[in-house]
Amino acid sequence: MSDPVPGVEPGAIGSAGSDGAPEAEARILGVGTSVPSAGLAREAVVDAWGRSRARGVDAVAVPAPDEDTLTMGVAAAERALSAAGIDAGDLAGLAFATTTPPLAEEDLLPRLGAALGVPADARTHYAGRSTRAGTRALRAARDAGAVPTLVVAADAPPAAPNSPEGHAAGAGAAALVLGPGSGRGARLTGDAEVAADYPGTRFRRTGREETEGLGVTTYDRAAFTRPIGAAVDLLGDEADAPDPREAAALAVTAPDGDLPARAARTVGLDADAVSTPAATLGDTGAAGPLLGLAAALREGATPTLVVGWGSGAGADAVFVDGLAPVDGDLATDRELTYPAALRRRGEITADEPPAGGGAAVSVPTWRRSQPARYRLLAGRCPDCGALAFPPEGACPECHRLGSYESVRLPTDGVVETATGVSPGGAPPEFARQAERGGDYAVAIVRFERDGAGASVPLQVADANPNAVEAGDRVRTVFRRIYEREGVVRYGRKASLASEGR
Amino acid sequence: MTDAYVVGAGQSSFGSFPEETYRTLFREAYESAVPTDLGAVDVDEAFVGTLGVGGRQIGLAGPAVTEHVGLHGVPCTRVENACAASGSALRQAVMAVRSGMADLVLAGGVEVMTDASAEATKYWLGVSGETEWERMAGTTFSGVYAQMADAYLREYDAPRRALSAVAAKSHANGASNPKAHLGFDCSVEDAETAPVVADPLTLYHCCPTSDGAAAVLVASGEAAASFDERVRIAGVGAASDRVGLFQRDTYTAIPASESAGTTAYDRAGVADPRAGLDFAEVHDCFAIAELLAYEDLGFCDRGEAAALALDGVTAADGDLPVNTSGGLKSKGHPIGATGAGQAVEAFDQLTGNAGERQLDDPQRGVTHNVGGSGGAAVVHVFETDGVTGA
Repeated sequence: MSDPVPGVEPGAIGSAGSDGAPEAEARILGVGTSVPSAGLAREAVVDAWGRSRARGVDAVAVPAPDEDTLTMGVAAAERALSAAGIDAGDLAGLAFATTTPPLAEEDLLPRLGAALGVPADARTHYAGRSTRAGTRALRAARDAGAVPTLVVAADAPPAAPNSPEGHAAGAGAAALVLGPGSGRGARLTGDAEVAADYPGTRFRRTGREETEGLGVTTYDRAAFTRPIGAAVDLLGDEADAPDPREAAALAVTAPDGDLPARAARTVGLDADAVSTPAATLGDTGAAGPLLGLAAALREGATPTLVVGWGSGAGADAVFVDGLAPVDGDLATDRELTYPAALRRRGEITADEPPAGGGAAVSVPTWRRSQPARYRLLAGRCPDCGALAFPPEGACPECHRLGSYESVRLPTDGVVETATGVSPGGAPPEFARQAERGGDYAVAIVRFERDGAGASVPLQVADANPNAVEAGDRVRTVFRRIYEREGVVRYGRKASLASEGR
Repeated sequence: MTDAYVVGAGQSSFGSFPEETYRTLFREAYESAVPTDLGAVDVDEAFVGTLGVGGRQIGLAGPAVTEHVGLHGVPCTRVENACAASGSALRQAVMAVRSGMADLVLAGGVEVMTDASAEATKYWLGVSGETEWERMAGTTFSGVYAQMADAYLREYDAPRRALSAVAAKSHANGASNPKAHLGFDCSVEDAETAPVVADPLTLYHCCPTSDGAAAVLVASGEAAASFDERVRIAGVGAASDRVGLFQRDTYTAIPASESAGTTAYDRAGVADPRAGLDFAEVHDCFAIAELLAYEDLGFCDRGEAAALALDGVTAADGDLPVNTSGGLKSKGHPIGATGAGQAVEAFDQLTGNAGERQLDDPQRGVTHNVGGSGGAAVVHVFETDGVTGA
């Protein structure tokens, strides 16, 4: 440990990479983001509650009823892989960070890996339980040294509707692909971490879904800025790291829009160096620093100081030097009314699907279909060349009953026919989705590959059901289908290509 | 090989009957189908169609109703082919008679669909759709038929109003059927402006869920001779297809219907359905299904069904009346009873017992019963006794 860190009380623990084991070298080859399509503006909150208690937040992103941190993570990951020019099948590592996993306990990495097509023997890492999870996962993935590796951070922290945390509650995901230390991409350099024991600033009680805080303003600011300042100071001590005060951008955890600006001033930067899109997306929890990095890279800013903060408290910091391609949006494209946002979040709807009877798809049966569901794996008939989807049973063309050659359908297809289903026409399994999100469109989509085609029935995500028509070009996205027996069933849906989210 | 005849046919009222059970409804149908002086011992085979909505008696649902009406010991088999269950049961009865294994066979069906909450009922409505993919995309049959309607209206640039014309026509017919579930008039405007269930289908483009039962007594030529009323089953056809719409060769036709119709017409010697048939009971679970049936069954060329409906050709006073009973749309659709219920209307029309709905001396009619969105179809051609050729 080096000299005492100014601003952090005795007992704080600090470490910088230059003092301990050398961190592995790595470069960021590409970055992807995913943001819900709909947002809630500050004015709507003010209309509803008389004021907004979230400082510096102009709007927050509100996930669709079929989105969660896993689906947003998959979307960001697919864009990161595309930006990096890396095939998921070539990944050696996979890391996932969120404070709001869809299940309190169960390994999500196998599902994330399966959705993307990551090899089963990839080295995996999960980080959670703190908004530092995003930078923790990034540093752990780099230190593991298995490249290329994919780091995904997604969050959607819920909170009580009329609370500072609730008014700030946002959502988003960012992912990046790490490659070897030499070659193309933005260099990841330096490593620092500081702990400082500050309880009570932003926490979630055991068994609760909502984050909360005590709201002790000056204490909260100290708990945020002091470990961050200390970590950045440590980073600056490293021989090969740029001077933090020279950073072009600060990609930092953002519980609201005010604290990051204070952190910037603490580390000697202007408030407008903050690149985390808290003002437009709200509190994106563990995804904040990586979303901030994506925003900085897209603006061509370098170097970027990437800082994770977690209440408790602690901070870590790394530098990103150079540029890398970025794919994905950082803003919502339509505004919700306040009641629509409550409805969409499930605040004012029933939790449990209605009781019922038939049409069950058991978990083992569903599991068997996962390659087709997650990655649209179809079958090619070795005799006549026709495509079968799902790839089972007799060939749809020549009726031969044999085995198929596995073929992945393209991610883009064309709508053959579509309908908008009202709650009256929705199966009960989809009643809660319809309650939260309203009518939805269901299409039959044709996918063509090498002169053969296959049709797949797909719900159309995020679309006005009346806007989906035969002939529309769509691409597939990974979404929640429904939850049954406590198990969330995921699969592909279609997304109107023109919406480009 | 002997011909097969319908010598009795009857149904319960179709509707919502909280005071009845599947057994009491079946009894009502049985008693109206079987001449009262017939002893139970004379029936030597039975086939009962039911889906089992609600799960009340999925196993052994057949014997559960035939034993209830006193057909004690008679071999009985439950037939499941979704909404084509009792049409398929009737075909089994014809096969049993024509094979010589049986002389007098009861074919019937029953379903109770209105004794659970609306949402619980919908769990059951979709169970004959393709479950793993089609349903998991978020559709039940309203959604799947809406996709067919979308494809059809687009393919032929047909007006949605044609769907509403079908609904209005069926309600006009059902209004004079005392056993109809929704025996009220519905105008084209009512159907056009009703709430959308699955675009482009509105509420009045969709049939109701109903309780009901129907029964048909099928006899060999020899056995039929002792009955006062006889209708000859001149032709039977059936076909299957892939269960999911997305797996089929077309979305603007139901190939199983076309295939079943062709087979039935061949056997019956019907060369030109439009000229050779005096009426039809077709499977109109949704208004688009009736339009597709016009084309699949050869009443018109592809793309012309909308005009047929809009021009009144298929109205009760038209050139080829369709669904004089009110059809599934107005008479009702108790899934397992529907196919046998169509045969009841055909029998009543051909024996002059159709009451207010009686057509002027019809000689030949067709019934058309579809399972799911086209995974199964069965077609029967009925003739008054003594009619030959087309």
